[in-house]
Amino acid sequence: MIKDELLRNMSEAIVGGDRVAAVALASDAVRSGADLLEVIEKGFVTGLQKVGELWEQGDYFLPELISSAEAMKAAMAVLEPELARKKIEARSGGKVVIGTVEGDIHDIGKNLVASMLQAGGFEVFDLGADVKLERFVEKAEAVGARIICLSALLTTTMTNQKRLIGLLRDRGLRDKYKVLVGGAPASRKWADEIGADGYAENAVAAVKLVRTIAGRN
Amino acid sequence: MTLPLLDLVKTRTVLLDGAMGTELMARGLPQGTAPEAWNVDRPGLIKEIHGEYFAAGADVVLTNSFGGNVLKLAGHDLGDRTYELNLAAARLAREIAPAGRYVAGSMGPTGKFLKPQGDFTEEDFAAAYAEQARGLADGGADVLLVETQYDLREALAAVRGARSVSSLPVFVTMTFNSFPRGFFTLMGDTVARSAAELEKEGVGAVGANCTLNSEQMVGCVRALRETTALPIIAQANAGQPVIGQDGRVGYSQGLEDYVRFVPEIVRAGAGFVGGCCGTNPSFIRAMARKIREESS
Repeated sequence: MIKDELLRNMSEAIVGGDRVAAVALASDAVRSGADLLEVIEKGFVTGLQKVGELWEQGDYFLPELISSAEAMKAAMAVLEPELARKKIEARSGGKVVIGTVEGDIHDIGKNLVASMLQAGGFEVFDLGADVKLERFVEKAEAVGARIICLSALLTTTMTNQKRLIGLLRDRGLRDKYKVLVGGAPASRKWADEIGADGYAENAVAAVKLVRTIAGRN
Repeated sequence: MTLPLLDLVKTRTVLLDGAMGTELMARGLPQGTAPEAWNVDRPGLIKEIHGEYFAAGADVVLTNSFGGNVLKLAGHDLGDRTYELNLAAARLAREIAPAGRYVAGSMGPTGKFLKPQGDFTEEDFAAAYAEQARGLADGGADVLLVETQYDLREALAAVRGARSVSSLPVFVTMTFNSFPRGFFTLMGDTVARSAAELEKEGVGAVGANCTLNSEQMVGCVRALRETTALPIIAQANAGQPVIGQDGRVGYSQGLEDYVRFVPEIVRAGAGFVGGCCGTNPSFIRAMARKIREESS
């Protein structure tokens, strides 16, 4: 049983976006032989959830979100090799392919979602911006991802989200993947209309959505 | 002689134009093509759009250079043509502008982040905007409008960049989201802090554009008025994009509902009023009518 205070400090390091403290606490946990799954779930992840709440309330903005995600990733980078060494299966979220669709070079929102997903324990394959639709499919097939996240900022390029679903259908792969859409012009209604599997309004909601889709919550 | 814009706004409400991107797409701009490329490749169409806005009653049009800073153009492999494309943007607007009307050189965000979130320094941003400002100024812009900024630090860098190459007045619009606690940019900058810092930097006018619809814009202009004595710019979106029955993209706030709030935006303190995403020359024509009614 890890001291509550220690778990609280871990959570606070993430909430404060304190990368140095997060790494130090993770290293201490490894050295002291603590239950690393408890460290992750009751310590660091608790902090990340709190960050999501603060963002949704409008108390946190993009800089805070990024700092917290970076602190989380730094802590996980310390913990993951140790988990692997001990052959402990962390509750991995699985693999996600993400990118901004072709014709669209906007990537702020997509980067934020990718970063938050990674901090949330997913293995993220970020293809960047202006990504040819075929590449989403090729990458997902190659790495064995089951979730494809598509971003679009423009009302003209959001139609490529629909085209990707058509592309999957044409290749007989539609049922193999969950396709999630986001970006300023996208909406739940749009996702329904094009037959996507989900829509998220922002990066925090995106992580929740992916967790749900991946069957983690 | 034409009155400088900052003098004109002391005498009456000044009308800006509406959306450019959707007008370009309606004229066949292919997906993925930099809109600024058309300043050289399809100059006739750019002038046609400006001409329609002037005909609708706009006092000022914004040049087709929203994505014309070096960093944004580099994404289209056009970074080394920054000066040329901006020069052309300003010239086209100047050529079609009737006597007594104005050209504002549009300068949208880089789409990149400053350190620590991103890889860039304020000096990098200032340089990227300076090259754009040089083209716009040489092409005959009356003012430079640093617009749709989501990061106050970037906006300040843009102002400094513009200043380093031109003595034209610089205006700035930030894009704010509405939260229960007030209006904030993506980076968490408040209206009060944005207005104060920009005023300190010596800008000619400050304001808000994009993101907010015309109803929300009323509150944002009030918040600006509480914190600054500078002329205020307001360019609201026509709501959110929606997909129509025919599969085409429209905006949730129709023309009638949009212009309904224009008198309130003016009364709240905006001296420069125009449209943003989802608006078109019809919106500007209706706004011109509202503003005339309001002042008569």
